[in-house]
Amino acid sequence: MPSREHLGEFEQIVLLAVLRLGENAYGVPVRREIEKRTQRSLTVGALYRTLDRLEDKGYVASWFSEPVPERGGRSKRYFRVEPLGVRALRQSRQELAAMWEGVDLPKAMHGS
Amino acid sequence: MAPKFPWPIVLLFRLRFRRSAESALGDLMEEWSAGNGSPHWLWRQALSMLWPGTGGPHTTYPHKRNNMHTLSAFWSDLRYAARTLRKNPGFTAVAVLAISLGIGVNTGIFTVLNGVALRPLPVPGATDIVSVYQSIHGVKSRNVHGAPSFFSWPEYKSYRDDNHVLSGLAAYSPFLDVTLGGQQPQQLFGQLASCNYFDVLKEPPALGRAFSASDCAAAREGAVVVLSDNLWRTTFAADPGMVGRSIVLNRQPFTVIGVAPVGFQGTEPIPAAFWAPVTMQAMLERGTDWFDKPDMSWLVLLGRAKPGVSRSQVRADMAVIAGRIDQLTPGRKTALQIETGTFLSIPEARKYVTIVGVVLLAAVGMVLLIACANVANLLLARAAGRQKEIAIRLSVGASRGRLIRQLLTESMLIALLGGVLGSLIAVWSFEAIMDFILSHLPHGTPPLAVGVGPDIRVLGYALLLTLGTGIVFGLVPALQASRPDVNTALKQSGIGGKTADGFLRHVLVGTQVAVSMVLLIAAGLLLRGLYQAQTIDPGFEMKNVATVSFDLRGQGYDDTRAGLFQRQAMDRLAALPGVDTVAEAANAPLSDSHRGTVFSLPGQPGTYQVELNEVSPEFFALLGIPIVRGRILTATEARTGAPVTIVTESTARQFWPNQDPIGKIVRMDDKNDMQVIGVAKDAQVSHLARSNETYLYLPAGPKQQVRMQLLVHGVDGFASTATGIRAAIHSIDPGLVVDVARLEDNLEVWRGPSRIAAILAGALGALGMLLACVGVYGVVSYAVSRRVREIGIRLTLGADAREVKSLILRQAMRPVAIGALIGIAGCAAVSQILSGMLFGLSSHDPLAFVAVPLVLLSVALVASYIPARRATQVDPMVALRYE
Repeated sequence: MPSREHLGEFEQIVLLAVLRLGENAYGVPVRREIEKRTQRSLTVGALYRTLDRLEDKGYVASWFSEPVPERGGRSKRYFRVEPLGVRALRQSRQELAAMWEGVDLPKAMHGS
Repeated sequence: MAPKFPWPIVLLFRLRFRRSAESALGDLMEEWSAGNGSPHWLWRQALSMLWPGTGGPHTTYPHKRNNMHTLSAFWSDLRYAARTLRKNPGFTAVAVLAISLGIGVNTGIFTVLNGVALRPLPVPGATDIVSVYQSIHGVKSRNVHGAPSFFSWPEYKSYRDDNHVLSGLAAYSPFLDVTLGGQQPQQLFGQLASCNYFDVLKEPPALGRAFSASDCAAAREGAVVVLSDNLWRTTFAADPGMVGRSIVLNRQPFTVIGVAPVGFQGTEPIPAAFWAPVTMQAMLERGTDWFDKPDMSWLVLLGRAKPGVSRSQVRADMAVIAGRIDQLTPGRKTALQIETGTFLSIPEARKYVTIVGVVLLAAVGMVLLIACANVANLLLARAAGRQKEIAIRLSVGASRGRLIRQLLTESMLIALLGGVLGSLIAVWSFEAIMDFILSHLPHGTPPLAVGVGPDIRVLGYALLLTLGTGIVFGLVPALQASRPDVNTALKQSGIGGKTADGFLRHVLVGTQVAVSMVLLIAAGLLLRGLYQAQTIDPGFEMKNVATVSFDLRGQGYDDTRAGLFQRQAMDRLAALPGVDTVAEAANAPLSDSHRGTVFSLPGQPGTYQVELNEVSPEFFALLGIPIVRGRILTATEARTGAPVTIVTESTARQFWPNQDPIGKIVRMDDKNDMQVIGVAKDAQVSHLARSNETYLYLPAGPKQQVRMQLLVHGVDGFASTATGIRAAIHSIDPGLVVDVARLEDNLEVWRGPSRIAAILAGALGALGMLLACVGVYGVVSYAVSRRVREIGIRLTLGADAREVKSLILRQAMRPVAIGALIGIAGCAAVSQILSGMLFGLSSHDPLAFVAVPLVLLSVALVASYIPARRATQVDPMVALRYE
């Protein structure tokens, strides 16, 4: 029942980052993208925990490049969002949009 | 090329991620290569693996509170824990004290082991220093001076000249015992070192210069020496003009060219007083010449790795050279051992220290285990008392994980307090332990350079121990207390006392008793062994016998002069007032030096290991060892070194059962035939408590005179005799260093280690017993306090107070008894390792195995009787209203 799986906030952020980067979506740029846009600092460990989980759910797929010397001879692991992931994202957006509809945040609470 | 990450970082990633470890590490490396990382950043990345939820947004459990605030949650946990502990000062004090004692003894022992065997050498850039040893297989024979893992000079030269990984490779011969001549001759421990020794270690002399190539080329002329700072200060009064002067070592002049820097005492546990070029070996150790002998192990190698060269590269490069050396001898196979240099690098010594260290750490680890069980028990009891608080927190939505984390923070805080206090105890106990051990070493043991305090390694050990301790004693109670159904479970079984945590508490008590039982029985065995060593009769006369030893060969005596000297010495000593007998022996009885050889019986296959001693005819009368068959050596046989031998009774029984051994022949070393002329009564002349060894007495012939010691039997006090003996020897040769000691002192060689072990084990056992009994007391009094109501009901319904008391005692003693049995069985299984210190006692000595458990059980009985009595003294009416 993947359609009923709920996407966490951070999972959405990671999926969106992978989508935005397209061809170039591996660990380092993904992390930089998230840090740049959300202004949150993020550890490598936290990112891979989420990516691994997303892959387990079938939301993303990954593959490896040739070994790269700057990476100590390790490969880059590229990610792409799978159709299931796209569906989950779309659903999350709809849910959020439905909830936001007609909501007007009072000025005093805004941005506190 | 990107650098390698420290191994703990790599390990953390590998442990946390099976699939993504390489990708994550690659990302880290890429950032690092791009110059985006700092060591601090790197460690933060790695440590975020340990504490889930730190380091980034994270949504594993969407229903949970936002973990962005984990760190602040941690702070609030910490503040809460600190408040809780402050509110229960009694509990906190007992827990912290128990943990600090446990951590204290552990860290103390570790400090000693670290100082002896783990610490890198105290030289600049010590982590680049590698020690090189070898084990050789497939060769028939190899000569050894020191240890078999040492190198010959030609081998050293190959490794030094052909390697590509070391900026320098030095060699030295660590054990050199020479006489410094002068008004007051003294024995010194020095070293023979290769010419680059001070350069490789980066310890240039503070005064004068280090060895130059020409020093090493010189043989007899131009002999030079570098003094240690210590020798320079103590013997030469820190004379700044020492450089260029001449000193006399083993009766030959050496020019002082330098004084080593302050505090540098070489790289061995025994401090070196001086260093001479390795080329002067034959000059200082007369009668031997090991230079250019390709199969003589006598040199220790220390190298300095070139910058950026890893250990594995060093090993690989040196192995190539080893392979090349192997090709010179068919069948030879050399394995090199290359490690970071420490004070105890010699593999043979390391093995011994490792065994002792493991036993010691196991013993102190047991004390810590008892302490942990104790605190775990206290925590369990307290958690039951906190059920209301915990139930409330659970019901308002705290997750179990969150609760466990908070309870663990509390136990971590206890552990940390205990760790800090324990480390203070360790610093203090380290000094005390060192002083204690050093002051109980036997006569003649050289001073050891292990007086080093705690360092970063010790600190790290204490910290790891503390963290581990906190988890060990905190986790089970935390899991137990935070059970979601804790409330109902406790409600249902409030009376019977058969709750799950009641069972856990009993298991913990049983563990404590079992572990302290092992420690106490070991202590009991060792004390029995010590008593045995103190009271044993070695089977010969030890009282009023002095041993007199000197180094004739080092002083340039040849066989003829040595024979002359010994005859003169014996005459003059015998003429001293109060002296009645003087004898010669190659080894004094029960000294720590032993001589052995291989012999065979003509016409029979097989060879036998045998220990032997060369003695003069007076030896047997002086020590009161009777000749039970045959005759004693004649003076002529002794003087000429005739091929005759006196065997011990056990030897005769073993080789010629039911035959007359007199006239039989033994063949020594495959060539020398000796005829048996007498049989001596068995005595423990070689090992204390062992009299049934095969043992031969041979005449002290002319070839042996150069290494004979003298035994002097006198009726007067030792002090006056000793003075007379020294004067008599010096009247023949004033340049000799004479060591005069009581023969009884040799017993200390055996008793000393036994005393150290017995006292250490006794102290640990007592500490363990104390902690265990506090645990028993705590559990019983807690159980009693929980059952006041039940007891009240029983008493009201007419139960006899004595019966109630014995019921409580029976229930309390059950886990104690089970633990005791397990402890006894466990100790019986391992007590064999102590047999070396029991001097003939069985390692299952019934006295220790019965008396010690009785003591422990009675103490435990008292510990549970006190609270049990209190329970039956309460007024039933008060008890019923309780709660």
